[in-house]
Amino acid sequence: MIVERWQYWYTLTIETPNCLEDSEKTLVARNFRYYEKKRGNRRTGSRLFGSLGEAIFFAALLLAGCVAIILGIVWLIVPEWRVNHGFVENTCKVVEKRVVEVKSEKGVFFRPEVKIDYEVQGVTYSPYVYDIHHLTRSTREEAQAAIERFAEQQACPCWYDPVDPNSAVLVRGYQWWIWPALLIPASFVVIGAGGLVYTALHWGKSAERRAATVQSVSAAELFDRPAATDAKYPYIPDGAEITSSPGTRLAYRLPLTHSPGWTLFGLLAACIAWNGAVSVFVVTVVRCFLAGTPDWPMTLFVLPFLAVGIALVVVFARLLRRAAGIGPTLVEISDHPLLPGNRYRLFLSQSGNLTLKSIEVLLICEEEAVFLQGTNARTESRGVFWQPLHVGGGTIIRPGEPLEAECDLPIPAEAMHSFRARHNQVEWKLIVRGEIVGWPSFQRSFPVVVRPATVAHAGGGAAP
Amino acid sequence: MNNPEITIRLDDNGRTYWPGATLSGEYRIDALESQKLQAIEVSVLWYSEGKGDEDLGVHEFWRKDAESRELGDLRRPDRFSTVLPQSPLSYDGQIVKIRWCVRVRVIFRRGRDLVCQKLFRLGNVAPPKPPRPNQPERTG
Repeated sequence: MIVERWQYWYTLTIETPNCLEDSEKTLVARNFRYYEKKRGNRRTGSRLFGSLGEAIFFAALLLAGCVAIILGIVWLIVPEWRVNHGFVENTCKVVEKRVVEVKSEKGVFFRPEVKIDYEVQGVTYSPYVYDIHHLTRSTREEAQAAIERFAEQQACPCWYDPVDPNSAVLVRGYQWWIWPALLIPASFVVIGAGGLVYTALHWGKSAERRAATVQSVSAAELFDRPAATDAKYPYIPDGAEITSSPGTRLAYRLPLTHSPGWTLFGLLAACIAWNGAVSVFVVTVVRCFLAGTPDWPMTLFVLPFLAVGIALVVVFARLLRRAAGIGPTLVEISDHPLLPGNRYRLFLSQSGNLTLKSIEVLLICEEEAVFLQGTNARTESRGVFWQPLHVGGGTIIRPGEPLEAECDLPIPAEAMHSFRARHNQVEWKLIVRGEIVGWPSFQRSFPVVVRPATVAHAGGGAAP
Repeated sequence: MNNPEITIRLDDNGRTYWPGATLSGEYRIDALESQKLQAIEVSVLWYSEGKGDEDLGVHEFWRKDAESRELGDLRRPDRFSTVLPQSPLSYDGQIVKIRWCVRVRVIFRRGRDLVCQKLFRLGNVAPPKPPRPNQPERTG
């Protein structure tokens, strides 16, 4: 009976066929599940339980953020504000100075304290004071330096709390680190509140209703659907970046998928950052050697990091040499986007200073799927179409005399169009692959967009 | 009491439609006590199958709430119609598959949803041929 109640109370998404006549399947829930599994094309698990879990998580984040902010305000900001705006200035006499040792789990810290005498409405107060937060220092010297400027038996200004005159400070001001520190709980509040609103908007809604809601909100399209899609062709990249550069021989010059320039830039940045950090240790080690007191443990510690730094420089130099030696690969196309069943022209230009063993241009279609495996998002790609368009070779390319070739680009009549969704995509691209004498082979990739063929259909019925 | 049952029929008895064509049909729900019903949702949608996590895109969505008295007599067929989009087309890839369907979801006040869907094909894209042995396959 209890199981029955669970079954009724929770709306599940596990499916079993039970449909009538020519309907494919009816999908109904089975038992309550605390977790979700993907089995082939089916999912199991409780949608309600998932939403509840989300809500609890975001509520906990929001609560933690709010509590931290409130505590930060009450303990840190308000006392400082009161010292600077509410405390009354007075004159006191320094009676005694001392540094107090404060032992905690993190170690021993030192707090500067000054005993002062001051009078408020005929009553003399003699507290040990310094700042409102009773901040500690990490060394005794720092704490000593803080009280150094107060001379015993001398008069100096102090500020006392009119509500509690026994509470006073010798130092006023603001701690700058409090405000950036509040950004951490503030981010908790933003994430928690945003997550709660998102969960509330999706609470108890079916997958279809959620998807319909998301698609109807234009801002959400930026997140759930790739932005660069043509409204007439949903889930197909518009290819605007492909047609943004006109060609010299043909209509458009295709952009590279990954520019070698960015790879080089990234590697250069890594070289500078790594070797910059390592150089500090290297200088220290070298100084020790020059002073005649070599620090062998430090030397052994630095050596592997130095080796990595040298390897980075070598890789960068090789890539730079290869990029400079091979030269740019230009591919131009007669029209874009591409349509199945149509034939296009391609122009290839390969510059550099090299001897080509072979060069080929390929048309490739790849499927790409992103899936969660444990906590990792994994991507799997599989080539499903592979057609050589141009094969050449045995050519010497000299500076200023690039290899140039033209070829046909036929798109198969029944080809799948380009497709891009959040976890799945079908991508068409042109690959230029070269084998070079004395160099490692190179491969450059140029994405293209294939749209569905426009079909003239009569009357809007089903296809035969 | 018998289990409620949903029937979906597409006009023209067609299973393959061209982009821009009109998809129309009807659905009927039998053996259902309407007082237990919260809403009925009808969607024309695509979803992905295969290796990757599921993507889902709703082309058309209708919802009838019991509270707004839109449900009427559930035993009588209710019609739907929509002009199909240009993309994405149905596709039987190797690790990415795209399915189109009409899905009817019956939402009860308490308990489980009852869902029925009828698949149809949009476009006539051929499945890819098996990859050549030297074609690359990457997992990252």
